[in-house]
Amino acid sequence: MSGIDDVVARSRVADMTLAPTGHQAIDWARRRSPVLDGFVRRRLADGALTGKRVAVVLHLEAKTAFLATVLADAGARVVAAGSNPWTTRDDVAAAMVERGVEVHSSRRSTPEVWEADLMKVAGTEPEYIIDDGAELTVRIARDRPDIYSRLKGVSEETTTGVARLRQMEQAGRLPMPVIAANDAACKHMFDNRYGTGQSTIQAILRLTNLRLPGKRVAIVGYGWVGRGIANYVHALGGRVVAVEVDPIKALEAHTDGHEVADLMTTLREADLVITATGGMRSVTERHFPALAASTILANAGHHDLEIDVPALRDASTAEDEVRPGVTRFMLDGEKPVFVLAEGALVNIAGGLGHPVEIMDLSFSVQALGCHLLASGDLAPGVHQFPIELDQAIATAKLASQGIRLDVLEEGQSDTLSEILEADTWRSWGSQ
Amino acid sequence: MTSTGRGMIEFARQFMPALAAATETVSGSGRLSGRRVGIALTLEPKTACLVQAVASLGAEVTVFGSGHSTKGAVAAALAESGIQVFAEEGADRDRVAELREAFIDTRPEYISDDGASIVRRIHAERHDVLGDLLGVAEETTSGVRPLRVMEAEGALMVPCVAVNDARVKSLFDNVYGTGQSVVMAMLDATNVQMSGSAVVVVGYGMVGRGIASVAGGLGARVTVTEIDPVAALAAHHDGFRVRPLAQAVTEADFVITATGIGHTLTAEHVALMRDGAIIAVGGAGPPEFDPSIGPGLEWGPEVRPKVRALSTGSGVTVFVVADGYCANTSAGEGNPIEVMDLSLALQLRALDLLATGELAPGVHLLPRHIEDEVAGSQLAAAGIEIDQPTEAQIRAATSW
Repeated sequence: MSGIDDVVARSRVADMTLAPTGHQAIDWARRRSPVLDGFVRRRLADGALTGKRVAVVLHLEAKTAFLATVLADAGARVVAAGSNPWTTRDDVAAAMVERGVEVHSSRRSTPEVWEADLMKVAGTEPEYIIDDGAELTVRIARDRPDIYSRLKGVSEETTTGVARLRQMEQAGRLPMPVIAANDAACKHMFDNRYGTGQSTIQAILRLTNLRLPGKRVAIVGYGWVGRGIANYVHALGGRVVAVEVDPIKALEAHTDGHEVADLMTTLREADLVITATGGMRSVTERHFPALAASTILANAGHHDLEIDVPALRDASTAEDEVRPGVTRFMLDGEKPVFVLAEGALVNIAGGLGHPVEIMDLSFSVQALGCHLLASGDLAPGVHQFPIELDQAIATAKLASQGIRLDVLEEGQSDTLSEILEADTWRSWGSQ
Repeated sequence: MTSTGRGMIEFARQFMPALAAATETVSGSGRLSGRRVGIALTLEPKTACLVQAVASLGAEVTVFGSGHSTKGAVAAALAESGIQVFAEEGADRDRVAELREAFIDTRPEYISDDGASIVRRIHAERHDVLGDLLGVAEETTSGVRPLRVMEAEGALMVPCVAVNDARVKSLFDNVYGTGQSVVMAMLDATNVQMSGSAVVVVGYGMVGRGIASVAGGLGARVTVTEIDPVAALAAHHDGFRVRPLAQAVTEADFVITATGIGHTLTAEHVALMRDGAIIAVGGAGPPEFDPSIGPGLEWGPEVRPKVRALSTGSGVTVFVVADGYCANTSAGEGNPIEVMDLSLALQLRALDLLATGELAPGVHLLPRHIEDEVAGSQLAAAGIEIDQPTEAQIRAATSW
C-alpha cells in the first residue's frame, strides 16, 4: 500500500475521491478492448518493457488509462499527463493513480499549469514517449535538451504530431527513432475516420440537443477526419459543404457527392461549422462577419485555436455559457454565434471521446509501437508502423468478432509469371 | 441551477421558429387567456418553451413531469418564473404519484398529455375533476392508442386531439427526432462504436424506421423484427434484414425496441443474447422491456451512469440503458429542439382548437390547414420556398 501512497504523493490530480467512477469507466473500456487486452498483452509479455520509463501523453480518459495499465502490467514504469488542458477526466486520472500510474493532470487546467504538468513528466526522464501532437516531445526538445538527447523513442498518435516530427527530422533535430503510429492503417483508417466522425457528431448533438437532418454543415478540411465527419453528417440527413485548400482533396469531396465551396461563401449559409484541418485559425477574424446568426462552431482538429476563440472574444460585445459546453458570443451586439467546448476538440472536451472499440485498435498500434521501440534498434528518424503488425492487429480484431476470411491460393495471386512465360510475350519481346 | 435552466430554455427558443409563429397566431384568438392549462410532457427545455408560450397567452399553467425524465434545472427555472411545477428530477414512483395527484388537484381545463397518463387517471380514479376537464391534446402513439380504445368503449368523456397523428408530428418527431435521439443517447451512455455492429430494431413503425435509418447511417448492419406483415415488407424494401426476434437477438450487439407495447422484449430473449449485448428502449418505458417474463435474471450494478448489468446466471451479461426507460428522454435530453418545435407548435394549436369548445368528446385529428401552417413556418425560417399549384393542376387534381 505504501507504494500507492508514494504514487499519490508524486502525482497531481484534481481529487482522489473521484476514483470509483474512473475505475468503472476503465473496466468498461477493458471489457470492449479485446485486442489490447489479449493479443497485445501477450506480445508485450516478452520483458522488453520491463523497467522502462514510458511517458503517456494522450487525452486522459478511460481508454488511455487502460492503455497505461497494459503497459504497466508489461513491466513499464508509466507516467501520464494530458495532451490537452481541457480533456482530462478527473475521475479516470484518480483511478489511474490508484492503479499505480503517476499522473500529472486535471481538467480545465490553465495552459500554464498544463505546461508545468508536461515538464513534471519530462522531469521523470522518460526513455519512451507515447505522444499526441508531439506535445511532450517538442517541449523536451525546447526546454530540456539534456533529456531530449537521451530519449530512446517516440510513438506519435496524430496527423498533426507526425507532421511536426517530420519537420524536426528535416531540421536535423530528431536524434531518436519515431514511430508514426497515426499513419498505421489500423489507426488513421478507423480512428480518424469512424472514431472522430461518430464521436464528433455525437458530441455536437449532445451538447446542443439540435437536429442534424436538414442542417447545412460546413466541414473545413477534407482529410481523414473531415471525410469521416462528412460521411456521418450525410448519412444522418445533413447537407455537407466541404471546404479545402488542396485540389485533390476538394475533388475527392466533390466526387463523394458533397458540395464544395470556399469558406467565405459557405459560412453565409452554414447552420453548423466543423473545423477539421489540424492546423490553426482556420476560422478567424475576417470570417466572423460572414457567419449567419445562431451558427454553431465546433472543432474536431488537434488545436484549440483552430477556431480562433480569442479573436472571437475580442470581436464580441458579450459572452456567456448558455448551456454546459455551449458559449454564446454576441457579434455586433445582436448576432449570436455559439462555440462548443470553447473550441477544444469537441468529441473529447465535450463528449466521451472516441468509441472504445476504435481506441482498441489505435492503442494496440501505440502499445506495439512502444514495444517495437523498446525491443529493436531502430535508427533515428520517422518510421512507418510495420505492415505485419498492422495486419496482426486487424486479424486479432476480426477474430474477436468471430469473422473469418479467405486465404489466397496458389494460382490466384498474380498473372505476371504466366504472361512472362507465354509465347506471345516472347515474340513481342523479340520484335 | 436556475441560471443553467434559464440558459437552456433560452438556447432552445432560438431554434423554435414554429412555436413562435404558432404563439403569434393563437394570441389573436385570446381563447386560452384565463384558462387553466396543465402540461404533462417530458419536462425539459423545449417543453418549458411551450409552458412559457401558453403562460404568455394569459393562461394559468401548471406543469407535471415524471421522475426519470424531468430536468431539475429546467423545473427550477420555471418555478422561479412563477409557474406551479409538480415535477422533481429523480423522484421515485411514490413521490411521482403524489406530484401527479397534486397536479390533478389544480383542476386543469385543458391538458397536454403524454401517454394519456393524466387523462386515463382522471377517467379511472379522479371523477371529482372530470367535470372541469374540457379537452386533451395527446402527444404520443402510446397515448392515442388507449384513447381510441376508450372512445370505442364509450368511456371517453372529453374531446381529445391526437397531436401525435398529425403528419407534421409523426413524420418528423417519431422518425427523425426519436431515431436520432435514441441512438445517440445509447451511444453517449455507452461510448461504443456503431459502425460494423449488428443492431436489431424491434418494431418498424415510425420510430423503428427512424432508429433503423440512423443506425444504418452510422454503419451498423440492421435487422428488423415485426409482427405486422406490411411493416415487415417495408423494412425488407428499405434494405434491412427481417427475422423473428428470437433468431435476431442471438447475433445482436444492440437490441433497440420501438413498439410502444408492453412485454415486447423479455428475459426469454435475453437468455438468447450474446455476452456484452446492449439493450435500449426507444418506444414506451417499462414494461416494453420486461425481464420478469422467462428465466430468472439478476440485475447487477450500474457499470457506468445510465447503464446497468443484467446477468443470466449462465455466464451471459447484457447491459440495459436507462433501466429500460425510453433512452432518449432518460439517458439523454429527449428529441432534438427543431423536431420538438414542430410537435409543440402543434400542441399549442391543438390547445387553442380545443378552447373553441366546438369539439365533441372523442378523438380528433388536427385539421390540414393547421398542419400546413406549422410546416410552413419552419420552412420560412429556413429560408425555403416551395411551389404553388397552378390553376390547371388544381383542376386536374379535383376533376374526374
